[in-house]
Amino acid sequence: MRPSADQLRARAEAASAALPALMLSAERLAAALVPGAHGQRRAGMGEDFWQYRPATTGDTARSIDWRRSARSDAQFVRDREAQVAQSAAIWVSAAAGMDYTGGTDRPGKRDRADLLALALAMALLAGGERVALAGQPPRPGRLQAERMAQALVARPALDRDEDAPPAEALRPGQRVILFDDFLGDPQPVLDYLSRAAGLGVQGVLMQVLDPDEDGFPWRGAVLFRSASGALRHDTRDAAGLRTAYLARLAERREVLSRAAATAGWHFGMHDTGAPPSQALLWLWSVLEG
Amino acid sequence: MLLIGPLGFLTPWILAALAALPVLWLILRAMPPSPKLVRFPGTRLLLGLRDPHPVARHTPWWLLLLRVLAIAALILGFAGPVWKPAPDQVGQGPLLIVMDAGWAAAPDWPQRQARALRALDRAAAAGQPAALLVADGRAEGVLPFLPATELAAQLRALRPAAWETRYPPDPQAVLAEAPAGLSVLWLSDGLDHPGRAEWLAALSGRGNVTVVPPEGPRQALELVPGDQPALRMRSTGTAVAEVLAIGLDPQGTPRELARLKPGEGSADAGVTSWPVPIDLPSELRNRITRFEIEGHASAGAVMLADDSLRRRKVALVGDDRASEGQRLLSPLHYLRRALAPSTDLIEGGLGDVLQASPDVVVLADQFGLADEPALREWVEGGGLLIRFAGPRMAASERLAEEPLLPVRLRAGGRDIGGALAWGEPRGISAFAPDGPFAGLLVPDDTTVRAQLLAEPAPDLADRSIARLSDGTPLVTRAALGQGQLVLFHTTANAEWSNLAISGLFVEMLDRLVRSARVGAGAPEADRAEQPFWLPELVLDGFGRTTEPQDTAPVAAADFARGPAPGAPAGLYRGGERVAALNAGGPIATADWPGAHIERGAQAPGFDLRGWLIALAAALLALDALGSAWLARGRQRAMA
Repeated sequence: MRPSADQLRARAEAASAALPALMLSAERLAAALVPGAHGQRRAGMGEDFWQYRPATTGDTARSIDWRRSARSDAQFVRDREAQVAQSAAIWVSAAAGMDYTGGTDRPGKRDRADLLALALAMALLAGGERVALAGQPPRPGRLQAERMAQALVARPALDRDEDAPPAEALRPGQRVILFDDFLGDPQPVLDYLSRAAGLGVQGVLMQVLDPDEDGFPWRGAVLFRSASGALRHDTRDAAGLRTAYLARLAERREVLSRAAATAGWHFGMHDTGAPPSQALLWLWSVLEG
Repeated sequence: MLLIGPLGFLTPWILAALAALPVLWLILRAMPPSPKLVRFPGTRLLLGLRDPHPVARHTPWWLLLLRVLAIAALILGFAGPVWKPAPDQVGQGPLLIVMDAGWAAAPDWPQRQARALRALDRAAAAGQPAALLVADGRAEGVLPFLPATELAAQLRALRPAAWETRYPPDPQAVLAEAPAGLSVLWLSDGLDHPGRAEWLAALSGRGNVTVVPPEGPRQALELVPGDQPALRMRSTGTAVAEVLAIGLDPQGTPRELARLKPGEGSADAGVTSWPVPIDLPSELRNRITRFEIEGHASAGAVMLADDSLRRRKVALVGDDRASEGQRLLSPLHYLRRALAPSTDLIEGGLGDVLQASPDVVVLADQFGLADEPALREWVEGGGLLIRFAGPRMAASERLAEEPLLPVRLRAGGRDIGGALAWGEPRGISAFAPDGPFAGLLVPDDTTVRAQLLAEPAPDLADRSIARLSDGTPLVTRAALGQGQLVLFHTTANAEWSNLAISGLFVEMLDRLVRSARVGAGAPEADRAEQPFWLPELVLDGFGRTTEPQDTAPVAAADFARGPAPGAPAGLYRGGERVAALNAGGPIATADWPGAHIERGAQAPGFDLRGWLIALAAALLALDALGSAWLARGRQRAMA
């Protein structure tokens, strides 16, 4: 059973309470024309306003700030904050397979991914960043965590086996964090990574897996069926398939992590049998560094 | 039948199917198990993989055992197993079936037929001839021995008779053609009947006799005559049953009107008898048409009610103003004493009593009252008016004009034995054998001192039903409409005659009262005067009423002997009277020295078929549960 928005938020708060205020590394900020939310830290700086500078050749008469110029002899121009805002976008796969759990003692992959996503978002928000789910406008403030929790919970599971992150929502300067099991067709993810690399977007791929998917504990005659029922595989000896399966899984990870490294991304793995704080600390360290 | 130790099989060839069990085991074992269904998101990674070593999973051995056991139980069950089947009691010689076919055999008749048919089948299988002696008193001549198959139809068509079981009188003559070495199967009704001991001796001399006693007790119901009619229930068992009184309800449909509870039972030589008092209001009792013992379908357990059972309602009208000291002088006193035990009495003014619609109205020395048109109407509608003479009538000058008298009376009366008369008091002459008083004994000391005399008339002799010794009428009777007028020419008290203080007075009144309305007297006494009785409604052996098939009249002498072939139990009409011929009567249990008695419990053995099939069903249910348990993991994986 999926938790409600309130429950999800309470758990995410608990998970992120241990983290220090998380700040995105300033690497990209230096290159940005206008500072993002980080400027707020300095006194006397407004959000829209950046600085007055002496007018130079090429500035139109309209762009001169006459009120400031009247106080002195030179003409000043009022600079505004750049439109490409520094922000983080989080995406959680809603594929049908994400609801899977191998045992009653551990949550479903989707639940765990939601929890990680929201905890991360809260830590970022506490650091003053602007955060949103992929495809939505990023905003700062505690209220945004509330909105994100509701959006995460309200998003229905798809009846397909695969869900791809929205490539058209990529913006330059963004940080993107993708949560998925990456067990579907890897091609859309690889395309997404190359496009993100083109836009200068950096981010993290977080593979969330159930221990059953990691360990393949079955034996005997088993009819495997994908979550949507579209794919099936019949076997008489599941135990004999274990090695081949694990090899394929390792190969998949290899492909993904190599693609991530090429695009300047990070590739991480999380097991739903493990506590979420472990994954959260890793995410924090990656995003901060 | 195949016998293995104490176990017998009726259709042993089905057991051959047991040989297929090992094959079944192998087939069930090699059957591939259904795969476990697993919902697995990583299925894409498995696509195209090949099984390195395919392993066939076996059905668990206990499930296999359950299934094989269930099928084995089914095979054994259909083979008709019988635990300790009865050995063939009836021997291998020619078969003689003696079938008691009286009313006492009715309650378990189908079982009897089935038992006899079984014996016939066996005889037919052994190729032995058979004979069927039906002990209903209709068998005649020498008993023929036929192939056993020809008797089955006769046996199936046989029905119990509505009279007692009767054996042919001479066993030797009937068994003249019987071969030696007979095996006799005697389906007894459990009761003793005339000639049974002789038959048993004769049959024992010719072969071995197997007796099948009836299942359950035999019960009989009979009427105990008397002033207060009661029933008597007899049974060879000790269980008490209630007696149902069945009659027409006010809408005219037959239904149970009352249930009678038997009193204290008394046992004698294996037969328990209970008195069953008929303690019912007379209106209800008069509607009863039959009594029957509850739950016992037999003609002997049915008692048809006739007129002897009805209690008449008698209205007394007279001058009862005598003071306490003169009570013994009042005519009503004598009438009351005579009628009260056997009738319901009503007293009062004439207008009052007529509204109670009595069966009989008695007027004691009343004059002028008879003018009432209501009274004439009542008589013409079927009432019985009994009048007594007396001083008031004798003193009347208009006696000759008095209506509602059977004969014209001469005024003044006659004093024969008084102080001023010459003659001696007259006795009563013997009653005519065809009159209502036929059979009553006249005491010598009954005399009449005074009487009213009738005018001579041509029909006076016909109307006189009792005379004095000099031929003058004592009691005259005439019909009026559907009713009757009766006049006692003397008083109802001891003033003119000592008739009123004799037992004869009670008997005469009883006869007259019983003849009221339907004109039926006591059947026992009146049979002699009625030469033939015609059946109106007869019972079959099971106690069900049927229309008589054979309406031949029954001679009175035969009628008096009770139900017999040609005169089954039922209701019979003779002239105006209706009498019931009831089958129930005294019963005695039969004993069977020297004969083998077949007990019902041991006869068929203990049939195991039902139990085995139930066991198979239970095993299959267990199998279903086990399979469900195995599939449990799959269900959880689906969830």
